[in-house]
Amino acid sequence: MTFKVKALGMAAAAVAMIAAGAVQANKADGVLNAAFTKELENVDSYFNSSREGVVLQRAIWDGLIYRDPATNEYKGNLATSWEWIDDTTLEFKLREGVTFHNGEPFNADDVVYTVNFVADEANGVKTQRNVNWMKSAEKIDDYTVRIHLKEAFPAAIEFLSGPVSMYPNEYYAKVGPSGMGLEPVGTGPYKVSKVVPGSHFVLEKYENYHDSPKGQPEIAKVDIRTIPDVNTQIAELFSGSLDLIWQTPADQAEKLSTMEQFTVANESTMRIGYLTLDAAGRTGEDNPFTKLKVRQAVAHAIDREALVGALLKGKSKVVSSACFPSQFGCEQDLTSYEYDPEKAKALLAEAGYPDGFSTDFYAYRDRDYAEAISSFLNAVGIDTNFNMLQYSALRELRMKEGTPVSFQTWGSYSINDTSAITSQFFKFGSLDDARDEEVKEWLDIADSATDPEVRKENYSKALKKIADQAYWVPMFSYNTNYVYTKEIDYTPTPDEVLRFTTMSWN
Amino acid sequence: MSDATTNMTPDPMLEAIVGPTPGQMLRKRIFGHQGLMIGVVVLGILVLVAIFAPLLAPHDPYAQSLMARMKPPVFLGGTWEHPLGTDHLGRDYLSRLIYGARVSLLIGLVAATISGVIGTAMGVAAGYFGGKVDAVVTYLINVRLAMPVVLVALAVVAILGGSLQVVIVVLGLLLWDRFAVVMRSSTLQVRGREYVAAAKAVGCSTPRVLMSEIMPNIANNLIVVMTLEMAHAILLEAALSFLGLGVQPPTPSWGLMVSEGKNMMLFEPWMVLIPGAVLFVLVLAINLMGDGLRDVTAPENRS
Amino acid sequence: MLNFILKRLGLAVLVAFTVSFISFSLMFLSGDPAAALAGETASDQDVEAIRVLYGFDRPMLVQYWDWLSSALVGDLGESYYFKLPVASLIAERLQVTMMLGLCGISFALLTAVPLGVAAAIRPNSIIDRIALFLSVAGQAMPSFWFGLILIVVFSIQFGILPPSGTSTWRHFIMPTIVLGYYAMPAIMRLTRAGMLEVLSSDYIRTARAKGASEFTVLFKHALRNAIIPVVSLAAVQMGFMLGGSIVVESIFALHGAGYLAWESIARNDLPTVQALILVFSLFYIVFTFLSDVLNAWLDPRMRAG
Repeated sequence: MTFKVKALGMAAAAVAMIAAGAVQANKADGVLNAAFTKELENVDSYFNSSREGVVLQRAIWDGLIYRDPATNEYKGNLATSWEWIDDTTLEFKLREGVTFHNGEPFNADDVVYTVNFVADEANGVKTQRNVNWMKSAEKIDDYTVRIHLKEAFPAAIEFLSGPVSMYPNEYYAKVGPSGMGLEPVGTGPYKVSKVVPGSHFVLEKYENYHDSPKGQPEIAKVDIRTIPDVNTQIAELFSGSLDLIWQTPADQAEKLSTMEQFTVANESTMRIGYLTLDAAGRTGEDNPFTKLKVRQAVAHAIDREALVGALLKGKSKVVSSACFPSQFGCEQDLTSYEYDPEKAKALLAEAGYPDGFSTDFYAYRDRDYAEAISSFLNAVGIDTNFNMLQYSALRELRMKEGTPVSFQTWGSYSINDTSAITSQFFKFGSLDDARDEEVKEWLDIADSATDPEVRKENYSKALKKIADQAYWVPMFSYNTNYVYTKEIDYTPTPDEVLRFTTMSWN
Repeated sequence: MSDATTNMTPDPMLEAIVGPTPGQMLRKRIFGHQGLMIGVVVLGILVLVAIFAPLLAPHDPYAQSLMARMKPPVFLGGTWEHPLGTDHLGRDYLSRLIYGARVSLLIGLVAATISGVIGTAMGVAAGYFGGKVDAVVTYLINVRLAMPVVLVALAVVAILGGSLQVVIVVLGLLLWDRFAVVMRSSTLQVRGREYVAAAKAVGCSTPRVLMSEIMPNIANNLIVVMTLEMAHAILLEAALSFLGLGVQPPTPSWGLMVSEGKNMMLFEPWMVLIPGAVLFVLVLAINLMGDGLRDVTAPENRS
Repeated sequence: MLNFILKRLGLAVLVAFTVSFISFSLMFLSGDPAAALAGETASDQDVEAIRVLYGFDRPMLVQYWDWLSSALVGDLGESYYFKLPVASLIAERLQVTMMLGLCGISFALLTAVPLGVAAAIRPNSIIDRIALFLSVAGQAMPSFWFGLILIVVFSIQFGILPPSGTSTWRHFIMPTIVLGYYAMPAIMRLTRAGMLEVLSSDYIRTARAKGASEFTVLFKHALRNAIIPVVSLAAVQMGFMLGGSIVVESIFALHGAGYLAWESIARNDLPTVQALILVFSLFYIVFTFLSDVLNAWLDPRMRAG
């Protein structure tokens, strides 16, 4: 304990020393310096699939609709109103007097061009799911547009307020995705003054920003550099050359929260971690995980409370359903397996493995969590051969041959509905390790029904069976840490998006 | 492309030593060589630690305790329960270091043996047969040297998935160049000697000449290169594990421990300093031994 | 001489082609490129569409031929990740790596040559021993560990050097030391050995007999002769260093080619990894070739061999 105090004292002294010589007070020159951890492949929001990309997308571009992250209420942004003409046709009245950063006026042509471009599969939008429900767009007049859907899709409003943003037709036609990635142009609260692919992005407040529900930006300039190493990020935070970092690992965030010059905010995310077990016997008929008792033993073997308390911390919670608790239809009243290694051993013995067995264990991220989980399995006699693979390699393996047990995570595209997770994995897709007909039927009904009660009831049935059968062993929900200097006033939202527009200087 | 051989220059100070008989002379050179003695003693201790790891380690190196994570070492305010503290999953640092010696030594020994076999076969063949064989071997050595080792090893391990076996084989297949270079030139030197000609004259078969005349006379160079390549392989494994593409957890690899400790480097620097220091000491000891052996055996080689 | 150069050149070209084939086939065997390209949120159909779009379903030799024939005219393909031409991506990142390599080799020469000379002048003296210790320690020091220690000491404890980035010359100090330290031992040993040999030669004895000052003997006569192999070793080391910068760049977050290589491996960005292995190999091949030519030019005996 004394050492900790000493170490913190040392760190604080070091900070004082660094600060004395460093460029000071970013509040004074109005520049907020932030860091990204991952290299963003392309600023064009249709051609990347990372959190960093979403952050920039929300700053540079606008969608037709806006969802208030606090109240979840839909508000008009580039559209002032919208209505369903029929199940597959949405009509929008567009906001007048909006101009893009390059001076191009915003009107129906931009919406039509953008929608038709992204909906065409040949143009290769990276996350097809975000756009492939749209068929085309049609101009009614300069400020009225209709979007035609391929089939009924109630979540359209959610997507139009999220990943679908509007691009300037003339400019985009000229430069294409790679040009847009290098010199992005949108209608959003921030315009881009510099892009060094993957490593450096400078945003400047857009003076002519329309009267948007996003609010007017206060911070004049945001300078974002990619710094992959968390230690380096923290060192730069100490030295004053960074004002804000995020996705900071729990241990470091905890240390930083004891230092008085920083605010550490924590918000949960929709991502959950889980073990998927080969109940269908894809890796072999005699695979131990085809036995219910073995799967239940796995569930009893892991101290999820300890994982959350010691490793994830923050707002993370233990989850027991195969979905994120806030999602529509995510039943909470179902079988939960408490930590009981003795019971796990007994179950293994009953299943015919009194001395345990050995198995391959796979993971692709969060090595420390995966390692801790596999260690819990080792402790009850399930001897794990730990394999950390790259995402693509593990996905290929799971698609082709399956894996006996693997640690997976899923963020549901931040969509607050059980269909974004349970239905993704339990409907006999290549990543379905359970292959349960009954579960699939319930999910099919729930996904296509329009009556919320019918949906809820069927999701509940499916989730209860998944829990009873322990096809998955759900572990915990994730959280994100945001660390920034006391000069900044900011309240993070639970959707894991940094919003520069809502930040201000104290 | 002769950087490997440039290191082979003998220490001239040893040439001044005059001893009565060759045997005494060698003994005197060995025991009189400080670096060699230090290297041998330190390496010997580490080898013993590796062999008797289960007896020496105070805890199971794999036993995690999430409630006792990152406890500091005893000299920084910790307790004797964990003399060198615990890691990010609450595993005993000292025990993991002790078992880590096994990993490093195993990798060094096996990888250097694999590359030694490949490199020696190629080098001896090139030196002995000359001509086309030599041209092909020289070409292969050039290809190998042109490939950036760390990058290629990273790429291959990324493809095959990291594990102890994969890392050992990949390093073994990559580090044969120095063996080939040194064995080739050593064989060239020995090839013209009278005893080789004599053996050929009495009708010894080529394999026989190679095994009983050539090999014994280049063996000391082989041992020197072997030690240096062991050190090289150990460092490379640590670097691969550090970059996240080496041996798999929970294997207690020192490079992996540095990599895991790196996350908390700013707050708990000991987590990086301790495993790195042990790695440094091991490699230093092997290098001292290799350099010493080179010094000690080189004058004889030239007589 | 011309004959020698042509022979060496032929070998260099042959080696370059071999390396290109190895690097290509190596990366082709890695996980599913289509899945890597599609990203984490892709569906099975997305992955399949990409497989066909990028031609991953064609035989490997056909793909190699495609790649090689465009590589010969400077087109190294498009990065799967950045959707930008690999050639321009690498060209941009190489500036940092080249800068680092030059700084590193300069640092190594500037420390190793004086130390080697000093050690040779007084063999077995305290300086010689210090030099020997530094070179042995240098070989044993894991570069990633050395880099981390420098950051802890100079960036955190004393706060006098920036821990990462490339914006000013001060950012290059620590990476230069770490990278240069790696090449130092070999250069120092060679300088020392070369100096010892030259100093004991008749040539130097004659110069001394003629009454030349010790300074002239050392620097005008001895060092000039001893430095030739050192320069050619430095060229070879430079080739090695560029390939070895991957570790240093990842520690100090220098956005150079080495760092790009590491990241690209993790992202399965095949065209970038292939091109980088090729580019690093070519650097080594070119530097070695230059060093061979230099040697042959300075030392006619070598041309025969």
